[in-house]
Amino acid sequence: MKHRSFLVVLFSVIVFLASPQLFANQEEASQKIITKQVQPSALTYLKKMKQAYKELNYELLYLNTAQNQIEPKQLIHGVLDGQRIAYFCYLNGGIRESLQFDGKISYYQQGNQAYSLVTNRDHSVFANIANFDFDSGNKNYEYLILGKSRIAGKRAIAIRMTSKDMYRYSYIIWLDLGSYLPLRLETINKSNLILEQTMVVSLNVTESINPWIKRMSDQKAPDVLHLPKTTVKDVAPWELTWLPPGFKVIKDDQHKLMVHDTDPISYIMLNDGIVSVSIYISTKMTNLTKQQNIIQRGGTLLYTKQQENVEVNVIGEIPLITAEKIASSIKAVK
Amino acid sequence: MKEYSQDISTLIDNELHDDMVIKHILDDTESQKQFSRYQLIGDVMRDESEGLDLRIDITDSVMAAIVNETQDNKIAPIATPEKAESNVVPFMKRFGQYAIAASVAGVVVVSSLMINQNAATDPSVTPVLNTVPFGGAAAPVSLQATPVQTKSDIKERNEHLEALLKDHQLQLQVQP
Repeated sequence: MKHRSFLVVLFSVIVFLASPQLFANQEEASQKIITKQVQPSALTYLKKMKQAYKELNYELLYLNTAQNQIEPKQLIHGVLDGQRIAYFCYLNGGIRESLQFDGKISYYQQGNQAYSLVTNRDHSVFANIANFDFDSGNKNYEYLILGKSRIAGKRAIAIRMTSKDMYRYSYIIWLDLGSYLPLRLETINKSNLILEQTMVVSLNVTESINPWIKRMSDQKAPDVLHLPKTTVKDVAPWELTWLPPGFKVIKDDQHKLMVHDTDPISYIMLNDGIVSVSIYISTKMTNLTKQQNIIQRGGTLLYTKQQENVEVNVIGEIPLITAEKIASSIKAVK
Repeated sequence: MKEYSQDISTLIDNELHDDMVIKHILDDTESQKQFSRYQLIGDVMRDESEGLDLRIDITDSVMAAIVNETQDNKIAPIATPEKAESNVVPFMKRFGQYAIAASVAGVVVVSSLMINQNAATDPSVTPVLNTVPFGGAAAPVSLQATPVQTKSDIKERNEHLEALLKDHQLQLQVQP
C-alpha cells in the first residue's frame, strides 16, 4: 500500500515538473501554426497596390469592356524626380492620347487642336481605385481576399471590395503578386453581375523611366483651356436632402454647358473617393417618355427625373436606386 | 532657276567644280536662298539643327498679301454673311475644342447615345443591347410601345443628354 502511494506521489511530481514544458511546447506549436497561416490582409495588399501604382515605372496594355464593346488602350507611367508622368492612348481608331504631368493633363487628337486642362487628380485607368483611401474606406467597403489566379501571365491575387450598402457598386481587383500593380478590375452590382471590366493583357515594369515619356515631359504642353467662369447667383437654388453614405458634395455651382449657348444650369458634384456623380438641375423640361429616363452603359448611369417643373439629371457610376433617391431629394432652398 | 537646283545640290556635296556655275549661284539671290534652305534641310536631317524652331511663320506674308489685296469696287460688299460668320466661328471653335475633352475622356458619351437613338427609332433591334438588369430582373430601357415623341423631340433630347454627358466628363477632368 505504502509502496503504491509513493508511486502516485512520484508520478504527480513528474507530471508537475513536466507540465510547464508541456504548455510551453503547446504555445510554441500554436505560434508556429499562426505564423504559417499569416498572410497579408486584403488591406495590406490594397495599400501595396496604391503605393506601386504611384511609384513604379510601368507600361500597361489593357482592354476595357462594357456591354459588348471592347476598347484596347495603353498606359505608360513613370516617375521622374518624384514627379509622375502618365501617357495614355487609344490603340484602335483615330489617335486619341493624353499626357498628364506637372499639374496638367494635355489631350491630343487627330484633326483637332491639342489643349491642356489644369488638374491635380490622377486620371489614368485604375486611378480611382488605386488612389482610394482604403483605411477610411472600410466604413463603406469590406475587403476580402478571394484567391489566386493568373492574369496577363502573372501570378495574381483577387480582392473583393464589397459595398456595405446598396447605394454603390462593388469591385473585384486582381493584383500582380510580384509588383502589386492592378491587373484587372471588375465593377459589379449587388446581383454579382459584371457591369464593366478592365483587364491588363501585358504588364512591363522597368527599373528606369521610359525614355520616350521622359522626352514628352520636356515638351511644352499645349495651351491651357480655361472653362467659362461659373456664375454664382444670389439665389443658390437647390439642395440635397439625402446623400448616399460616404458621399460628399465637392462642387456646387451654376455653369453653362459648352455645346450650346444655353442658360446656366445648376450643378452639384458628389464624390465618395472612388466615383463622382454629376447632378444637373434645370427648369427647362425636355419632352421625354417614361421609358427613356434611364440610359446605362457599363457602370455609368444617366437618370432623368421630372418633378414639379424641374428636370433633374444624375450621371455617374452608381446603381439606379441611388440616382433615384438623389433626384428625389432635390429641394429648392427657401 | 530650276536648272541650278541640281548644281546647288552638287555644290553642297562638294562635288561642283564649275566656276561659272558657282559664280552664277553667288550672284543670284534666289539661288542663295535655296542654298541656305538646302543646308538647313541637311542640318535637320543630320539632327544638327540644335533645337532650331522649324515652324515656318507665314503670317507676315499672308498679312502683306491681304494689305496688298485691292478691293474690287464693282462688287457690292455683302454684309449679312460676314456677320453670320462672325457668330459661327467662336461657337465652332469652342465646340471643336470641347469635343476632344469628351471623346478622349470617354467614348461612353457617343456610344451610349447612339445605342439609345437606334433603339428609339427601331425598337426591334436594340432593346437587348440597351437593357441592363437591375436587381436581377431585366428592365427594358428604351422600348417604345406608344411613340408619343416626334423625331425632333428625340433629337433635341439626345442633344441635351449629350451636352450633359460631355459636361460630366469635363467636370470629372477638372474636379478638385
